[in-house]
Amino acid sequence: MRFAVVNSIYEAALKNKDIVFLTGDLNHVHEKEFRKNIPDQYINVGIAEQNMIGIAAGLALSGKKVFVYSITPFVTMRCFEQVKSDVCYQNLDVNLIGVGGGFAYGQYGNTHCSIEDVAVMRVLPNMKIVAPSNPLEAKVLTAQILNLKGPTYIRIGRGKEPMPEKKYKVHFGKGHYISRGKDVAIFSYGPILTEAEKVVDALGKKKIEATLINMHTIKPLDEKLVLKIVKHTRTIFTIEEHSIIGGLGSAIAEIISERGHKTLIFKRFGVKDIYLKEIGIQEYLRKKHGISATKIVSLILTLVR
Amino acid sequence: MSTSTLKTHAKNIRREIVMMIYNAKSSHIGCSLGIVDILVGLYFNVMNIDSKKPQLATRDKFVLSKGHAAAALYATLAQRGFFPKEKLAGYCQNGSYIAGHVTYGSLPGIEATAGSLGHGLSMGVGMAIAAKANKLKSNVYVLIGDGEFAEGSIWEAILFAGHHKLDNLILIIDNNDFQIMGSASKILDLSPFEEKLKSCKWDTVTVDGHDIKKIISALKKPHPKKPLAVIARTIKGKGVTFMENKPEWHGAYPTEEQFKLALSELK
Repeated sequence: MRFAVVNSIYEAALKNKDIVFLTGDLNHVHEKEFRKNIPDQYINVGIAEQNMIGIAAGLALSGKKVFVYSITPFVTMRCFEQVKSDVCYQNLDVNLIGVGGGFAYGQYGNTHCSIEDVAVMRVLPNMKIVAPSNPLEAKVLTAQILNLKGPTYIRIGRGKEPMPEKKYKVHFGKGHYISRGKDVAIFSYGPILTEAEKVVDALGKKKIEATLINMHTIKPLDEKLVLKIVKHTRTIFTIEEHSIIGGLGSAIAEIISERGHKTLIFKRFGVKDIYLKEIGIQEYLRKKHGISATKIVSLILTLVR
Repeated sequence: MSTSTLKTHAKNIRREIVMMIYNAKSSHIGCSLGIVDILVGLYFNVMNIDSKKPQLATRDKFVLSKGHAAAALYATLAQRGFFPKEKLAGYCQNGSYIAGHVTYGSLPGIEATAGSLGHGLSMGVGMAIAAKANKLKSNVYVLIGDGEFAEGSIWEAILFAGHHKLDNLILIIDNNDFQIMGSASKILDLSPFEEKLKSCKWDTVTVDGHDIKKIISALKKPHPKKPLAVIARTIKGKGVTFMENKPEWHGAYPTEEQFKLALSELK
């Protein structure tokens, strides 16, 4: 996904001198090409993320469209107030690229994980949030964001996510069906969608038909689709590699409860409100936090039977 | 423009500040009065601006990073003709866009939102980079407070601007040595400013922040291949004697009696 996002921006920047790419000293593709071919549109700001966001805001106030690149916690939380006041309050064309959402950097410890980023970005007016699950979505959503105004947070994985076997259409702001089933509906986003797909398969073997929605755009949320599904399916689950507080699960719960829909069963699968001291690779930490396919399936089976 | 004309502008601006803050029962009168002479130097001499074309691409830009001194900037922009003075009546009033901290888009001539300290210099750096990328000769002026200098983000921006030789960036430090709870140098001593900034690859000059002619000449100091920092020695509350050097005028607003007394000093 890192390649897909940065490559899309680089290609666009070659044609548009007002696109600027800032990195907080984080490696990325095309570094040499940026420096050689469009040096006025590229800066390694150094390890100073508050300054980086402020600079991005100043550039945007001067008519530039800016992309800011770093590891997820450093481009959302380290500089949160700059994102709030400089970027969102002024509604500027500053796009934050957060690499390694969730537990992608799980081996490095909690400082490099991000289970809070969607919640804190979601609360900011004007901010849009996308979290593609694979390089195809990353490429298409980046291309669409290039045509949008105002700030966006692009939450991506670390780079090992495979390209999907079949191409499909992706539209910013619109969730899409991965599977259709009448018994339960699952909403998910980002690389953990592969686990959600395993959940759907496992439930299928138990004769439980599941709808799976890829909600790659978390804000603005495709409320219409949520309401459509809730109308027909009264058992709703959300799966995310993020805290159960403030993420997609919260967003969908807010819609369902405010609209007075009666769901028979609703459960958010996400990271519970704790920091584990244990570290490990992404798959390991998903298991530890109860968001691996196996754990989710067993809990869903106890809930629906 | 003669010194006496510049001084008249300063007095008119101070009078507007006192009226705005008295009417709104708001704060930051001392902070606003203290930077007026710097703003007069900038807006009536140094900066390349056209009050009738506030969006002109070739303009110089000013960012008030100590956004709480907003009344001074609003009054200066009105005095310079960016908008009618009647608009100042909206300052800090319900339903108005003219906030106690400067807000982008609220009035013509406001280049950036500020209020939370330590943000303005980075935005100024971004503007300076954009000007260079666009091959413009525009300068960017950023005013921060000496207390604000304690914010870490200011130092991130200082280091960046020096390293990148942003010679179209001019930082003005409002050195009144006051912050909310007392003397800035006693709370967290950031002196010596010049030595610190020089070590970060900046050019520097220190000036009397109330001598408009000297301010103008300091702001015009040639500083090839380096950003310039102008350390302006100022008096918080300057122009209203009973407010001068009194930290309590950071937050207080004048009573009717004090208001009348202040205006009588600004005739």
